[in-house]
Amino acid sequence: MALPTNVYRVLEAIVGSENISQEPVILDTYAFQWLAETVTGGKFFTRPEAVILPQDVEEVQAIVKACNRYGVRFKALSTGWGPWNAPGGEGVIQIDLRRMNRILDIDEKNKYAVVEPYVIFAQLQVEAMTRGLNCHIIGAGANASPLASCTSMSGMGLSGISMGYSARNPLAVEWVLPTGDILRLGSLGSGAGWFCGDGPGPSLRGIMRGAHGAMGGLGIFTKCAVKLYPWPGPPLMQIEGVSPSYAAPIPDNFRCYVLSFPNWDSFADAAYKIAEAEIGYVMGKQIGAAIAPMLMATSATEYAQIRQSGTADEIMQEFRYSFQLILAAHSLGEIEYQERAVKEILAETGGWIPSLTQDPQVQKTLFRMLIKADINSTVFRLSGSFGTSFGAETSCDAAVAHAKAGEQVKKKYIDRGLIVDDGAEWAWGAEMNEQGRYGHLEELFMYDPADSESAKGAAEFLEETSLMCKDRALGLPIFELVRGGLGPNAHDIYGPACSNYHIWQRKIKKAFDPNTASDPSFYIEP
Amino acid sequence: MALQDYRNDMQRCSRCSCCKWPPLAQIKSWRFSHVCPSMVWGNFHAYSASGRLIAGLALLEGRIDYTDKFVEIVYQCQMDGACDISCKVNRDLEPLEAMLELRARCVDDGQILPAHMLMIESLRSDDNPLGEPKAERGKWAEGLDVKDIAREKADVLYFAGCQHSFDRDLWGAARAAVTLLRMAGVDVGISGTQEACCGGRAYEIGYRGEFTKYAEHNIETWNAAGVRTVVTSCSDGYGTLKLHYPKVGKTMNFDVLHITEYLDRLITEGRLKPTKKVPLQVTYHDPCHLGRLSEPYIPWEGVESKVLGQVVIQDPPKKFRRGTNGVYEPPRNVLKSIPGLELVEMERIKEYAWCCGAGGGVKEAYPDFALWTAKERLEEAKATGAQALVTACPWCERNFRDALAQNGEKMKLYNIAELLLEAL
Repeated sequence: MALPTNVYRVLEAIVGSENISQEPVILDTYAFQWLAETVTGGKFFTRPEAVILPQDVEEVQAIVKACNRYGVRFKALSTGWGPWNAPGGEGVIQIDLRRMNRILDIDEKNKYAVVEPYVIFAQLQVEAMTRGLNCHIIGAGANASPLASCTSMSGMGLSGISMGYSARNPLAVEWVLPTGDILRLGSLGSGAGWFCGDGPGPSLRGIMRGAHGAMGGLGIFTKCAVKLYPWPGPPLMQIEGVSPSYAAPIPDNFRCYVLSFPNWDSFADAAYKIAEAEIGYVMGKQIGAAIAPMLMATSATEYAQIRQSGTADEIMQEFRYSFQLILAAHSLGEIEYQERAVKEILAETGGWIPSLTQDPQVQKTLFRMLIKADINSTVFRLSGSFGTSFGAETSCDAAVAHAKAGEQVKKKYIDRGLIVDDGAEWAWGAEMNEQGRYGHLEELFMYDPADSESAKGAAEFLEETSLMCKDRALGLPIFELVRGGLGPNAHDIYGPACSNYHIWQRKIKKAFDPNTASDPSFYIEP
Repeated sequence: MALQDYRNDMQRCSRCSCCKWPPLAQIKSWRFSHVCPSMVWGNFHAYSASGRLIAGLALLEGRIDYTDKFVEIVYQCQMDGACDISCKVNRDLEPLEAMLELRARCVDDGQILPAHMLMIESLRSDDNPLGEPKAERGKWAEGLDVKDIAREKADVLYFAGCQHSFDRDLWGAARAAVTLLRMAGVDVGISGTQEACCGGRAYEIGYRGEFTKYAEHNIETWNAAGVRTVVTSCSDGYGTLKLHYPKVGKTMNFDVLHITEYLDRLITEGRLKPTKKVPLQVTYHDPCHLGRLSEPYIPWEGVESKVLGQVVIQDPPKKFRRGTNGVYEPPRNVLKSIPGLELVEMERIKEYAWCCGAGGGVKEAYPDFALWTAKERLEEAKATGAQALVTACPWCERNFRDALAQNGEKMKLYNIAELLLEAL
């Protein structure tokens, strides 16, 4: 369905001719997405009818109202990384929120920042650190948008142990509903500022994003207050070394570890104990066994040489049941206490600190990676792309069950040569959100998007693990739902096994979006 | 290499947008957190390195054809390479090389800009892309009484480059450089009117034939003259000589040094002794072609293969240029050697420095964009509190001067050689 000329003119009048385009070369850069090849067989999803760049909430509202008036669907994006950002089908315009890129306020006393959609975590973090604060950064990395994560998309990250995850961190929100009405959630709704997401004023966090977010299927979020947390480190982290081995000195009141364990069960026991001791600042399994040799390599070729020489065998074994841990304290006495607690936990669980990670330089590199969350796109380095599976929020014990299940399935695909041989292990996450209230774990895998057989294998792996989630009651396979591989009725597969949530979700969609103007493809078809 | 040789890189772009930012760990504030002028100027994703890789792929797949907008997207970019450096923190891709091939493909297919055609016509007629008469070349050195290597032998050839040769505002920098070399007892000569463009700008805007012609001519001329070292104050020229000249496959019987490297060496050896105080707080702008784009060419010919299932490797192993081996310390050392002078750094420096805006044919084709880019850098310079901005490239200096003039601003601007001369 081509966008009628008169509708284009209406949209153009809202943002100006320089901020809207129907040029194929521009449209294709929005149709192109990571993982597209596992769904469409090529690098492109459906091309949007137009791309439009609003600069404020008034323009967003006018665009959404025009879409409702003329029967056009819209899909908004912030940084636009991931298949759920792409139009789900024909007749969709893409609303790129890039021009809305300001940090509007940082309230030091009440520990929150108000951000627009195109602010990225890296920007927010450096501004927060100058004020003795920090923000939760999601697993996707510091190049992602805090607003998008808080309002619309999952949001797990390794700082979850001390900073919660993105469902917890939004406070007041400015929301352009699919109809074009503006709804201000929380304290903002009663004119009381940004300090609270749940009142005084409407509290609709569950509808707004629930556990995983509507991924652009329920309107557009234009401002969001995001919780900030204490940062007892320097106002500006000094970075040493050269790319790709940047490193950050570890302040005296911090510690940075990799902790290894003999098996998954002792791994889970230790995670619980650390959470219960309330000593973790960042904790989780960022660097799995297969990726550990990257600590010694600067390219995929070097990595392969290390693996093939056998020098990485011991390291990989040590990283198999391991997680990374950063301790942060407000005094030297406190950090010494935390350090003693870690030693006791290791003794109780049979854990140890791998020799590689006792090297101060490796520790500094890890410290930078874990605080700055800047290595996350390294998962693309070895084969060109990666995917992830499972991903429900659950207990740490159940998360470990995901890891065990993932290993079994993955081995088949490795044996067929379709994905990277990572020793059938790369459980990512295992962060103990909110000091252990619940955990999260995904099984990552790496494939080559330029190789159609590898891409097909990746799709098969995702489908198999996703169906396993239902068959073995492992929770919602969040990644498969947002990839789009199961098609528009994905939730009908899982809803009956999960309290029929899909019925409620569909009703919410109909109530909030009577014209189905907000592209439902990655949320739920009405 | 040709555009299709980068097809796998295009397909392996994840659209993570890291090419739009400095290496994420190096971001120091919201205000100066972008690294790609083209993306900030153009706003649509197509204006990023990722966008250009996607555009290249779409072209190869026949999804799209050339349009005016396509050509604008390809050329509205300084080719400053910051995207390439940020990408390579986490990836083994070659976005800048692919973008250069996309330009070469455009030229091959006749998709060219009138402003670039004028540059090429000027090259063909007068050996410079600035539209200046060849006979005027060499005037910058009048009265210096320096050797002409066409007539006399010299150990060192000072290569002025086009901008220093024809822009009278910048003659002082070239004259200062030669004066400093001679003060240190260096046996230096110039080519005068016989000097020709390095060809670097032609390479950047996609005209490979013109580039090869100048590269071969200069290498042959300098080899024949028997010079042991070619020194230049032009960072664009330096980057071209270090990175692109080796690609033409001709033996270069001479070393290539930027003037800041040579001056740093002369100061270290005690042959230049800055003693006069220059009480000034300055900040230093890293020219792209002296920094990340000056990393020496690393020849590689091989094949891509896979091990461990799907791990993509290069056979033989390939060394990736990540910008960290550019010329960063010599200019800083020179500045630090000047008594009374204090150097304060901007936020975006070295391999992730913000571009001045002049390169890649942008100043000629999109002057407003070039000036906007320079003004953004001047804002960053002012934010340091420095009284002056120092650079080591005539293209940067020209663009900064134009931006300051347009804004009516008074910030002092120095070429590093002129500043050093003040201290002697």
